[in-house]
Amino acid sequence: MTDTSNPTDTQWPVFEVFHQQARGEPHVHVGSVHATDPEMALLMAKEQFARRQACVNLWVVPASAITATKYEDDDIFEHGTDKSYRESWGYKTPKTIHVTKKESQQ
Amino acid sequence: MMTTYDALGELRGDVKHAVIDLLYRLADDELVIGHRDSEWTGLAPILEEDVAFSSMAQDEMGHALTYYRLLHELGEADPDTLAFTRKPRQFRCCSFVSLPSTRDWALSLMRQFLYDAQESVRLAALTTSTVTPLAEVARKLRGEEKYHLMHGRTWVLRLGNSTDEAHEKMQAALNSAYPHALGMFEPTEANEVLAQSGVCPREEELCHQWESAVAPVLTDAGLAVPANARPIHGGRVGTQPAALAELLEGMQLVHSSDPSAQW
Repeated sequence: MTDTSNPTDTQWPVFEVFHQQARGEPHVHVGSVHATDPEMALLMAKEQFARRQACVNLWVVPASAITATKYEDDDIFEHGTDKSYRESWGYKTPKTIHVTKKESQQ
Repeated sequence: MMTTYDALGELRGDVKHAVIDLLYRLADDELVIGHRDSEWTGLAPILEEDVAFSSMAQDEMGHALTYYRLLHELGEADPDTLAFTRKPRQFRCCSFVSLPSTRDWALSLMRQFLYDAQESVRLAALTTSTVTPLAEVARKLRGEEKYHLMHGRTWVLRLGNSTDEAHEKMQAALNSAYPHALGMFEPTEANEVLAQSGVCPREEELCHQWESAVAPVLTDAGLAVPANARPIHGGRVGTQPAALAELLEGMQLVHSSDPSAQW
């Protein structure tokens, strides 16, 4: 949200924008916009991120609603021992049912 | 049962003349408001809105081109000639669209909202026009115009209900815009023919629908619709304000410096 500790910051709150190219596809993060509220954020997002590519749906999420890990803690993602048995090679892991259907038709 | 015109080439006589009159009004409105809105490119209050407003200006230009192409099919000059070589008195846009923005964001937003509400009402009616190519164009353009109206409505509601300063600016914009906005529905000689042949409803009817559409939004925005506003007419018969001449001088400058240049 707006940084109230800095009175010269007149920027509106940040909303993260997620774009869906076709029904059934996942929403993909494409960037962010400044806006006063979610409805305004959708209006702005439409012109910033959906004017050059196909789009069927947009999500906007207040950046303040996102909780993230710290990069300094990225060692938590490392594997201390061999975990290759967890990897999904050899399995089909389609993104969506839509994609599975398409593949099964081929 | 009314005659349906599946191709523009089937139009004859009075109906053809009336359709040409309508298309000039539609095209010139779009071209001129598109140009006015583009004056905000690089200057709009926030970056995101700069992109959005510029993008809508491009949409309007695209719609103008679509209508000019229909006119060309009906035997009028090609789109570039129509846009870049006609004199102000040959334009059929309403005075509302050429009204200078004078860096007044409230006025530009208010105009965009009132104008797009008019387009929304008119395009909805044109989707059932007896002139099939016009009905098809209306259906195609409605998506973009739907966004334009969402955009205008959202801004008007936000600013009307915002600080005292914003509210006052929006009310002042509404007061000065409204008589011009009513002029969007100036009836021409084509009015009756267009209505009787099922091409486009009478301007009075469209104006009534438009008033019913904008009034609730303006009220929700805490704004007072000017009472007894008198429409400013003239544009639809080529009696244009000096503002249009100035606008065209700038818009046509590059083309008139070398009309034979290829782009």
